[in-house]
Amino acid sequence: MKVAVLIKQVPDTTAKVGITSGSVDEGAISKWSISPYDEYALESALSLQSGSGATVVAITLGPERSSKSLIDAAAVGADELLHVVHDGGLGSLSLQKALSEAVTRVGAEVVLVGKQAADTNSGSTGPGVAKMLNYSCVGLVSRIEAGSDGFEATRSTPSGMERVSVKLPCVFAFDKGDVELRRPNVRGIMMAKKKPIEKISLADLGVDNTGEGVSTTSVDYPPEKPEGQRFEGADAAAEVAVKLREEANVI
Amino acid sequence: MGYEALDFYDVDSLLTDEERMIRDAVRDWVDESVIPKIENACREGVFLDEWRQDIGSMGILGAPLKGYGCPGLSYTAYGVICRELERGDSGIRSFASVQGSLAMYPIWDFGSEEQKEKYLPGMATGELIGCFGLTEPDYGSNPGDMVTKATEDGDGFVLNGAKMWITNGTIADLAIVWAKLDGVIRGFIVEKGDPGFSAPEMKGKHSLKASVTSELVFQDCRIPKDRILPGVKGLRGPFSCLNNARFGISWGAIGSAQACYDSAKSYALSRIQFDHPIAAYQLVQNKLAWMLREITKGQLLAYHLGKKKDAGEWIPEHISLAKMNNVDIALEIARVSRDIHGANGILDEYPVMRHMANLESVKTYEGTHDIHNLILGRHITGIQAFTKGA
Amino acid sequence: MSTTIIAEQQEEGIHPTLPQLVHAASIIGGECTIIIPGGGGESEASEIVGVDRVLKFNGSCFSVFDSQSWSSALKGSVGGTVLLASTPRGRELGASLAADIGISVVQDITSISEGINVERPVFSGKAIEKVTISSPAVITIRPNSLDPAGNGASAPVSTIDSGEDLRMAVEEAITKASEKIDVSEADIIISGGRGLGDISNFEKLEEVASTLGAAVGASRAVVDEWGLPHSMQVGQTGKTVTPSLYIAVGISGAIQHLAGMRSSSYIVAINKDPEAPIFTVADYGIVASWEDALPVLHDSIKALP
Repeated sequence: MKVAVLIKQVPDTTAKVGITSGSVDEGAISKWSISPYDEYALESALSLQSGSGATVVAITLGPERSSKSLIDAAAVGADELLHVVHDGGLGSLSLQKALSEAVTRVGAEVVLVGKQAADTNSGSTGPGVAKMLNYSCVGLVSRIEAGSDGFEATRSTPSGMERVSVKLPCVFAFDKGDVELRRPNVRGIMMAKKKPIEKISLADLGVDNTGEGVSTTSVDYPPEKPEGQRFEGADAAAEVAVKLREEANVI
Repeated sequence: MGYEALDFYDVDSLLTDEERMIRDAVRDWVDESVIPKIENACREGVFLDEWRQDIGSMGILGAPLKGYGCPGLSYTAYGVICRELERGDSGIRSFASVQGSLAMYPIWDFGSEEQKEKYLPGMATGELIGCFGLTEPDYGSNPGDMVTKATEDGDGFVLNGAKMWITNGTIADLAIVWAKLDGVIRGFIVEKGDPGFSAPEMKGKHSLKASVTSELVFQDCRIPKDRILPGVKGLRGPFSCLNNARFGISWGAIGSAQACYDSAKSYALSRIQFDHPIAAYQLVQNKLAWMLREITKGQLLAYHLGKKKDAGEWIPEHISLAKMNNVDIALEIARVSRDIHGANGILDEYPVMRHMANLESVKTYEGTHDIHNLILGRHITGIQAFTKGA
Repeated sequence: MSTTIIAEQQEEGIHPTLPQLVHAASIIGGECTIIIPGGGGESEASEIVGVDRVLKFNGSCFSVFDSQSWSSALKGSVGGTVLLASTPRGRELGASLAADIGISVVQDITSISEGINVERPVFSGKAIEKVTISSPAVITIRPNSLDPAGNGASAPVSTIDSGEDLRMAVEEAITKASEKIDVSEADIIISGGRGLGDISNFEKLEEVASTLGAAVGASRAVVDEWGLPHSMQVGQTGKTVTPSLYIAVGISGAIQHLAGMRSSSYIVAINKDPEAPIFTVADYGIVASWEDALPVLHDSIKALP
């Protein structure tokens, strides 16, 4: 069984994101990492590798620097590495098309991906790739298990959790799982540097990056939070509750 | 907020890709598994067994040793590992230093083939813990006059004497013990459970509280013949080990200094006095600038020493200089950082007083600050000044 | 340009974001169709001002959330710009539909104006991306970003039967045990300090926490003094928290506490001392005794729609 893990290299969640003249200053990002939810997808793929002998193929799409995320994946045990090299913007359709072609190319019928990337925060890739491949899709997954006839996945629902069974082929989009992520060890790191990375272009996958009628005009810092507001007396707590919903949008 | 390591001259860009990956792996582990637990461990005075397991599974023990299940990394990589561990706590770095440089290294360099096969693979994974017995209650800087003795007795050796200030002693599965056999210093491997051997823990430390420090006591301790290290005689044995450990310390101390700088910087920026962050005052800026200067120099020193060690172009005096300087500045940085933190600096909500107290030990162990000065003095003048007269 | 809104069901009926989506549709302009995949709520939907028709889908596939089946079932009836709520399900279904139809998807927008110009937070809110959408696309809208459209209309409702098959089956529903959430992982934290007076009053915080799905934290003072677990302490070395909402109850705000929580997105402070340093970092500071203010806050939160 081949398992593809789609991983994205993003600025580390602890790194400062600087913006100059309407776009993110990538050169100033101090640390790039595998997007956190993708790490859970990778961990689950590696459990399938040790549990049922699956071959784990890590796939990333991005500029040259993204190869590092594949080496990181190899350091914890990914078997094969595929880098779709592309620098610059890409519409959601072209992106999903490229990744689904990459999955077809490696012949994986199980695809694991994070529920959303830590930079764009979109969450479109998993279900979109599933649709293009005509695979089933289970989102918000915290764990999967290979069964005799397909897979069982635990996913969160508005009211709790549920366990669903699904036949292959299938895409699983991972939430934070209840598993501990394995950390790379020295042996893994030394082996990872020897592992070949297959590099291909969008053109190799037959994908042309045409405009899709959606364009980013600028990226800015969020507006400064207003000065703190002060309320006197216990009754004001009612007003604060409303503001938490309507102004702050946090409850 | 994530830890952003001070690297003013971008010295880490000189590391190889693998060295940086190892750095990141250890750094992440320290963030996740050491820093959230270290204060409690210090309060309780324990070295967590999960740290042993994690360090073992990361495969960083005995970093520069090759073969027998050892990692086979560069000395520079070993230095980076020590720096990242000590950013968490000197006790964690001490565990790894003692295991790698003081227990694994002598077996690797001076042991028989059978000894290497028997001990090194398990020590590399952390399943077997080692310690190193050189210092005695009455012989610290002057180990050559040690009184622990070994005598041949039939098919084995009998050891008598005591060692003190032994990191990992109580939790160790084996001890590398230096003792005099017919007046000549030799290395012996003593295993936990050997008759006449005990390793009681020393309590009441104000420093290295998350590290196990012990006495090793030998009362007619009998060990088999094949436990002597065949490859070395005299002080060269323990001193070779100490050179490697001191090298690791020269990097490790920078980790402590970085942690103290990091805490001082963020505290100074958030602490308001007289209506301004104290970071806005010249005296505080002067202190921070001084820390930055000394850390940057220490990083360059450690890196260049690593390159010399990897190239085999070093003398012990090079290591003495780096160990002495980097621990000295780290301790002073910890003190100044504590000062910037004001009264808050004495609380365990900030790492600085812990590092400060740890570094007092680090300044003394593995050759005191003064002894390293004397080593350099002898190198400069050709005149030894360790002993009086003669 | 016309719009199609895919409504989301919840246990009590239609998701309360639906009138907000209709408001967004009115900004885009053109005819507005609401699609209800399974369940009920069609009469509620038909009453929202600005809705031209409601299509209610029936079919066995709607018994389980299955984005791939649902999108196959719905796509033939979807036209123009497609709007969904930016809930986990809305986003998954939106992405499937976009790929199915062959249009782009723009997720989790927080503002929309004619053009169509939208804004969306990226990098977990560290930046805002401005996007112009000039072709039909799927757009998901963060709940409570827009005012709801009014009520009182009556759009025609028609029903469509779908024969689409499900691609998965639910084996077991697992109700969430009300386990304690860890402070370092919580999205909402309610913390108590010495102002609570007694350890037993942490029960009051627990009650609010269970309503909000929050973790309960504590200041160093009460952890030390009242013997609470260290895992609850905010501000200890290595324990910096960055939840989206931090509620400090009876905490004056020592510097190490502030250092541990000041990066929270929003901070509410309840303290009877108007000079307490906690108010310097609070977005919403309530000068009152916690005994009086906390029950009001709790009741008001429960009363929110």
